Amino acid sequence: MAKIPVDELSIIQAYGPHLSASIRGTTSDEPEKLVKTHCCFCGQQCGIQLKVRGNDVIGFEPWDEFPFNRGMLCPKGVKRYLQGSHPDRLLTALQRDPTSPSGFRSLDYEQAIARAATEIARLQQAHGHGAIAVLGGASLTTEKTYLLGKFARVCLKTPFIDYNGRLCMVSAGAANKKAFGIDRVTSPWSDMIGTEVLWIAGSNVAECSPITTNYVWQARERGAKVIVQDPRITPIARTCDLYLPVRPGRDAALFAGVLQLMIEHGWIDREFIEAHTSGFEQVADYCRAWTPARTADVTGVPERSIYKAAELWGQAKSSFLLHARGIEHHSNGVQNALGAINLVLASGRIGKPKSGYGTIVGQANGQGGREHGQKCDQLPGLRDISNPDHRKYIASVWGVEERDIPGPGVDAYELFRKIDAGEIKGLISICFNPKISLPDSGFVARALDKLEFYAAIDFFLNDTARHADLVLPGSLQEEDEGTVTQVEGRVIKINKAIQPPGEAREDWRIIQDLAQALGRPKGFTFAGPREIFEELRIASKGGISDYSGITYDKIERQMGVFWPCYANDPKTGAPTPDHPGTPRLFEPDSFNPIAKGAGRFYFADGKARFNVAEHRTPVDDVDDSFPLFLTTGRVVSQFLSGTQTRRIGPLVKQYPTPRIELHPRLAQKLGIADGDWATCETRRGTITLRAMVVTTIRPDTLFIPYHWAGEKSANRVTVAAQDPISKIPQYKVCACRLRKADAAPGYDAKLEAQQ
Amino acid sequence: MTTALLAVLIVAGSRNLAHFDAALVGYTFATLFATFGITYRYAMWLERPPTRMYWRRGWQFFLSPRELPRNLVTATKRAVVEFAGNRFIFRRGVLRGLTHWLIMWGCLVAAAITFPLVWGWIHFETVPGDIESYRTFVFGVAGGEFPVDSFMAFVIFHGLVWASFLVIAGVMLAFRRRMIDHGAAAVQQFGEDILPLILLLAISVTGLMLTVSYTWMKGYAYSFLAILHALTVIFTLLWLPFGKLFHVFQRPAQLGVSFYKEAAARGEQAHCRRCDAPYAGAVMVRDLVTVERELGFRYELEGRAEHYQQICPRCRRAMFGLAQASLWTGHTASSED
Amino acid sequence: MSVPRQLEFFVDPSRCIGCQSCVQACSECDTHKGESMIHLEYVDRGQSVQTVPMVCMHCEQPTCAEVCPADAIKRTGDGVVQSARKPRCIACGNCVMACPFGVPELYIDRQIMMKCDMCYDRTSVGKKPMCATVCPSQALFFGTRAEIDALRPQSTPTNRFRFGSQTITTRVNVMVPRSKSPPLMLDVTAAMDERPENRNVRLNVVGNSPSTIEPMLDPFAEVEV
Repeated sequence: MAKIPVDELSIIQAYGPHLSASIRGTTSDEPEKLVKTHCCFCGQQCGIQLKVRGNDVIGFEPWDEFPFNRGMLCPKGVKRYLQGSHPDRLLTALQRDPTSPSGFRSLDYEQAIARAATEIARLQQAHGHGAIAVLGGASLTTEKTYLLGKFARVCLKTPFIDYNGRLCMVSAGAANKKAFGIDRVTSPWSDMIGTEVLWIAGSNVAECSPITTNYVWQARERGAKVIVQDPRITPIARTCDLYLPVRPGRDAALFAGVLQLMIEHGWIDREFIEAHTSGFEQVADYCRAWTPARTADVTGVPERSIYKAAELWGQAKSSFLLHARGIEHHSNGVQNALGAINLVLASGRIGKPKSGYGTIVGQANGQGGREHGQKCDQLPGLRDISNPDHRKYIASVWGVEERDIPGPGVDAYELFRKIDAGEIKGLISICFNPKISLPDSGFVARALDKLEFYAAIDFFLNDTARHADLVLPGSLQEEDEGTVTQVEGRVIKINKAIQPPGEAREDWRIIQDLAQALGRPKGFTFAGPREIFEELRIASKGGISDYSGITYDKIERQMGVFWPCYANDPKTGAPTPDHPGTPRLFEPDSFNPIAKGAGRFYFADGKARFNVAEHRTPVDDVDDSFPLFLTTGRVVSQFLSGTQTRRIGPLVKQYPTPRIELHPRLAQKLGIADGDWATCETRRGTITLRAMVVTTIRPDTLFIPYHWAGEKSANRVTVAAQDPISKIPQYKVCACRLRKADAAPGYDAKLEAQQ
Repeated sequence: MTTALLAVLIVAGSRNLAHFDAALVGYTFATLFATFGITYRYAMWLERPPTRMYWRRGWQFFLSPRELPRNLVTATKRAVVEFAGNRFIFRRGVLRGLTHWLIMWGCLVAAAITFPLVWGWIHFETVPGDIESYRTFVFGVAGGEFPVDSFMAFVIFHGLVWASFLVIAGVMLAFRRRMIDHGAAAVQQFGEDILPLILLLAISVTGLMLTVSYTWMKGYAYSFLAILHALTVIFTLLWLPFGKLFHVFQRPAQLGVSFYKEAAARGEQAHCRRCDAPYAGAVMVRDLVTVERELGFRYELEGRAEHYQQICPRCRRAMFGLAQASLWTGHTASSED
Repeated sequence: MSVPRQLEFFVDPSRCIGCQSCVQACSECDTHKGESMIHLEYVDRGQSVQTVPMVCMHCEQPTCAEVCPADAIKRTGDGVVQSARKPRCIACGNCVMACPFGVPELYIDRQIMMKCDMCYDRTSVGKKPMCATVCPSQALFFGTRAEIDALRPQSTPTNRFRFGSQTITTRVNVMVPRSKSPPLMLDVTAAMDERPENRNVRLNVVGNSPSTIEPMLDPFAEVEV
């Protein structure tokens, strides 16, 4: 029974989001220790030192030595310490109780685990193993994601596990695997400094990965030209050299048009294409139709700018291309990313110093979290769950029969469709708030209501967990140790600063306690993350993302290790305990275990693949009744669904509540003034927010940030269209219309800004 | 002049030095010197263009006939709440408020007792025919009487003891803050912040030791202690015009400023010549322009404003950014050396 | 304790992305914990995302100190203009109105002016100021002249500013294009009539090679509504 027990306002009153204090501690506080660790938020994973006294994090001190960020932090990093010792923190397990005013009552942790096990066993007995699904998250440490994948497959024996990286990195991941055979950024960010051209496609770097801004500026100081492709003039676009104001959902067309000009003018590296790639001719065939005129017509980018982009990119001697959710959050997401990769491959500069390509991951462990088995089609080490050899190897590591490992499951959104259809009856979720983060969230809420049993593991009662029958109190990032793999592919170590308070437990303990209570403890008796990591090293060995040579000690000594890092030389098999890791992929003389010397790329023939990156009009495109594009994204002070950041006072103050960005010309036409209430309507529903009239957005496009809940949630109106390959939802475009609101929305008087 | 006036008052108050305690002559000269120093410093301070302007304006607005009755009420209220109660310091922190309040009242009580005694303005005599009673003389004029062994007498004769308790408690709190507060530690200076605390503590402790000596120790080392005490007091008095404690005399300017600011707020507002938003009282802007000119600043402009002071602070920050940005876009917001 | 002379502050507002890291970090500083002393504002959000971070520039002859009737603002030997001395400041607001850079702020409830003091609690013990440490675009940089020279080949620092007929020299530097020699003075009041544009820095300025691209004043000019 997973209906919200009482009205949401009562739950909000009891469990928040409430605001933290604006600072903690006094000017006289002396910390007992400084713990070197990393920020808990985005994929940059900036190094930070937490000031600890007793069992409280009382502040932070910049960590100047950590090479990626050298002390730099965004506002979330600065105030992240305030998430601990928070009034909303869950200190006990909770049980759904409609008779309680808050909708929940506390119960003993052991009782909660026992109840969860009973319910899971009951549902699986009645409906089969697949009646239970597991949802994980890409902010978990790699150890936890590994354990969660193993738990689903070995203990629950269900194929239905997926994670919120499905909403984030999968288009890029799929495209990378198709083109390179490996899914990782090619180069460390330091390669940007000294590059000639930097192309940023669909990434609001300043707000979503702020620390990267300094790399961009340092590249400019060394002479780099910066190209930004975005429907909004973001802070990095304001000062870039060439701005490509692309119409939402037309990125593949733009890349095709640019490549066509490069081919026409001979701005491609024929020699490289010949020697190291395959599939170029098909791509060239496809691009032929993308003349500058047609490209300009489809993309909304002026012809002269398309030409300039081709000229800059084509003639450069070194280059770096970065993309992010702006081109990936599309039903054409994989094609868009492949289009970008085609530009990179045609340039022939991949694998050279001061050149690179990559996607800027969004979540803390966006990279590591997609490598080791919480993704529905994967096993540890970026292995394929459908590949018999891969299954056999992992079965041997796990000590189970190969046939007992379930096959591929379904993506996170499909999983909710299965819940809706009654195929999945029970759900365990951790580190995922799908009611806010999945598109067309009204459907998600209705599906949640149909669950017979739902257990959520979290440190705050997130918006989805309000539906839960049981809430198990998990751990904050600073309450556990483990590794994550940040944006550059650098494996780093999260260090434990404090103990989980009250009855809260480290997440891996909760998972193991569930396995124990289910009577299947085998394989779930790790004493801690270090032991889990040791098994993960073995499980990843021989896979593409090979962590076998990485140890906690090596990470601390080197301040991070870039995977692949081999315990045994892939060529000779000799032990390589000092293998330093692989900061730059695809270097001319590099050897990888897939190509075995045949080439630099991770395919048997060693060649990279050109893939035809077809432009397809977005699902739910504009028409006469819904003539505007709606696009969604982040603001710098909030993170994802806001479970943490909407509880941190100073961050809420910085950007309290979402607004609809629109261009003054559109505003004038619609009679909307800055600050007016405006209603945005799509085929799914409406959202009423205050208007923000700015010249920094395409006049045919609206922007709404997505971090808020309930009636302020952008995903009430987004479309549940997905990419056919990666299954990423099309968050970045749908058709809408806008009008001045008849009145202030009802929530305005009832709720605080962050609620 | 003030020093002479004080000297005259001392002579007059002690009835031609008849009730002047010769043992306290060191103190007297120290106070005379301090008075001179304070007056001199105060005068110098008032000479500064901004201070002169504010002094004049403060009185002008305070005494303006229409506002005077209300101003008197407000001034009294503020004197009680802000000065007697230290409300504005309590707002910086309860402990900090308490610290200052204790030190301030300790010092005020002590001064109120000591100076009149030293200068002979107050003395006590036994009531003729009633050996059990004291009569108080203020400026040689007889005041009230009270019994020698009464509670009242105990309180009055030990006034300095109570004052020293207040000061010591306050100074201890202040020392604590200066030792553990990282913010205070960063900017504090010995002469400015620590020395005054040491002096106040020294005065209080040596004074208390005098009491201890004659009350319980049969006057053991009394004269040594007396000299020590005298030295601490005299040093503090001599240093008074130059150090942190001078703020005692400066601070009441806060009251004057408040009248000026209120009058300015009621009056015409200056609108920024760039964004047209009101940002300050017009009279304050005009006065500041005058002061800046007197000080030798040349913020004169041409164009939409005649003086940079007519631009609001927010626009100043915006212009700073725009000027720097225009250098990078090739506009001309720069001038070569 | 003082701030070593060779350590300087360099500001490049062009780099600023308006993220407010500096604002959030500033309030963690022990000399003014809980209050942020740095200003960070949109020049005009309706027109542009351009933002300006404003720290105290620490003038050699601080106007704020000169116009202070209470003599409360002092410049220490290391060139740092300190926040108002608490016993003296009478909260008149003259400094707030007089500062050519618009830096000091008045806290009426506590009857005190407070301003950026270059994180004196940190810089006087060899650490970098909070804002410049965390700044993700390094629009705020703290270090030696040699460091900034090595890091910013396109830029050069200046510490002289013009406001009408007045020239102000500061301890804090602003980065200006290096190509424009001799060293520049930033004429702040010349920007009186400037308005921000939604696109700012253009190809023909940054970088050495001249480019054929024409600045596109409004990239959305051709988009139909």
